[in-house]
Amino acid sequence: MSKTVKIASIYPTLLGTYGDGGNVAALRHIAALHGITVSVEEVSPGNKVPANADIYVLGGGEDTAQSAAAAALHASGALAEGVKNGAAVLSICAGYQILGHTFLDAEGKPSAGLGLLDVTTDRLEKRAVGELVAHPLSSGPAGISAVLTGYENHGGFTHLGSGVEPFASVTSGIGNGDGTTEGAINGRVIGTYLHGPCLVRNPQVAEQLLSWAIDRKLEHIVEAEVEALRKERLDFVTKNR
Amino acid sequence: MIIGGTVALKLSPHALEDLAQGRVAALVSATNGKTSTTRLLATAMSQGGPIASPTTGANMTEGAVWALATGAPGAQAVLEVDEAYLPRIVKETKPKVVLLANLSRDQLDRMSEVAMLARKWRKMIEENPEVLIIANADDPIVVFAAEKTKKIVWVSAGQAWTADSSVCPECGTLLSRDEKTWSCSGCGRKRPTPSWNFEWKAAQGKTTATAISPTGEKFDLSDLNLPGRFNASNATMALAACSELGYNLPKAVELMSTVSAVSGRYAVVQSGALKVRLLLAKNPAGWSELLDIMPPAPTPVIVMINSNSADGRDPSWLWDVPFERLAGRTVIASGNRRRDLAVRLLHAGVDSVVVEDPFAPDADLPDSVRAIDVIDCAATYTAFQKIRVGALEGEVDA
Repeated sequence: MSKTVKIASIYPTLLGTYGDGGNVAALRHIAALHGITVSVEEVSPGNKVPANADIYVLGGGEDTAQSAAAAALHASGALAEGVKNGAAVLSICAGYQILGHTFLDAEGKPSAGLGLLDVTTDRLEKRAVGELVAHPLSSGPAGISAVLTGYENHGGFTHLGSGVEPFASVTSGIGNGDGTTEGAINGRVIGTYLHGPCLVRNPQVAEQLLSWAIDRKLEHIVEAEVEALRKERLDFVTKNR
Repeated sequence: MIIGGTVALKLSPHALEDLAQGRVAALVSATNGKTSTTRLLATAMSQGGPIASPTTGANMTEGAVWALATGAPGAQAVLEVDEAYLPRIVKETKPKVVLLANLSRDQLDRMSEVAMLARKWRKMIEENPEVLIIANADDPIVVFAAEKTKKIVWVSAGQAWTADSSVCPECGTLLSRDEKTWSCSGCGRKRPTPSWNFEWKAAQGKTTATAISPTGEKFDLSDLNLPGRFNASNATMALAACSELGYNLPKAVELMSTVSAVSGRYAVVQSGALKVRLLLAKNPAGWSELLDIMPPAPTPVIVMINSNSADGRDPSWLWDVPFERLAGRTVIASGNRRRDLAVRLLHAGVDSVVVEDPFAPDADLPDSVRAIDVIDCAATYTAFQKIRVGALEGEVDA
């Protein structure tokens, strides 16, 4: 019997404004391709966040919802416990910002994050909206080698501390805001501005998360529809540069 | 056409104020259903004489100017208004009533997030206390926007899409919901008691819709030609407005039932080699409702997703739409984001065929598509307009 991978979708009602539910759908779909059994728990605010999930997924959300999610996660403490136990985390946009030390609330005041990633977020001069292309770093997770494609829509400038590595290197778009880096990673905790949804357009990232969860290497499975979408999006960016 | 409105505004920045002059009976705003509700209301009100109302769905300042300038002189006007333009147009036209039906995520690459828009509406309503508001009590975001005025008629118009109102827009607490009502345990805000109610029943392929007035009078809306729960809900909002404006209500229902297509929506048109029923949806709330009016599986359908400026550049909302409901049939995936759609359908377990131009005579379509007389074609705004304009101008070879 192989183990069932436990996926916790954290507050999708608060952090799911930009189609981020697709990340959980993609994990389910890609796990099935690899013959991996998964269980998905969608955690609503007010309900208990499990401390024993293998993969936590946090999406993007509006300012008020972001602050509500951060407050609830602080009070719970379960996400930090899960990370300590070796769980993998994929956090997108507002979810990524929550994982840092501080982010700005709806009034522009710094608000405490969870401190699971050594990053802080303030404001970009101009909101970053558009296709985002980034290359994974050779020092990053072994399973993620293909160029990353997604769509960003955020006003946050995320500054990386010494306790994280960039998740990727921007070739088109804004990313963190420093002109070169996109997202952040520390161990199995990933933060990124890639919507799209991220795991739909970058199945290798989903495979990496699943691989961590089952402690076994996964060979990349290519799906024609997904490759066609990736190619079309990357060609679009090249043409419109 | 709206170019006329643009020119008028260039000549006089006060053109809208000058043209309005007490003529504007109603403004209609919402994320979804603006054009249909406006048409239903204008048609119902035509019992009292000609109504000035846009026929194109143009809903920014220029569109309002044009509808007023080209309508019958002195005629009462009913205008649909873009959500973001509403505060300005309310201020300049001083309407008798404003209908507010729903707010949900839409074109997030250019529009405000939902809560921000609601705060702008709230301020607008505080600044215009003389305007009567007719608002949907079932949408907590609309209630937050509208609750500060004393001149209000609440309508229980329903809310099928709740993903943008899961938390209280004021205090951020998760809202509690049951079948009919909602409330916030954080600040005590709750669904206002509606004056007008709306009932929708669907069983064994037959649907019944009823609007119920504040005095308990029932109006059967089952004969509406516009399909779906959402259009019956739109008609209930329009009926509440007719009541406040002093129109005969049975006559209003009768007239609303004559509306069969609204600026191309639900129209059956020839597009190239296919005859299609045109359906428009622009965001996940709209798509969720639209999927329910399509004929059941295995009837194939065409779905066209574009991401031009007027569609919104980012179609990741495809992942918020329950496309799983299309299972058991073949979907022809088209539009410039057909590849995003194909992956969405793959994950939803729905068969799809990706076709760039399904209307070309030599398009590689399954036989089942050519075998049916009229196929549903659901499309985002620019894809919809292209088919509609092509059919109107007869440019497409039949």
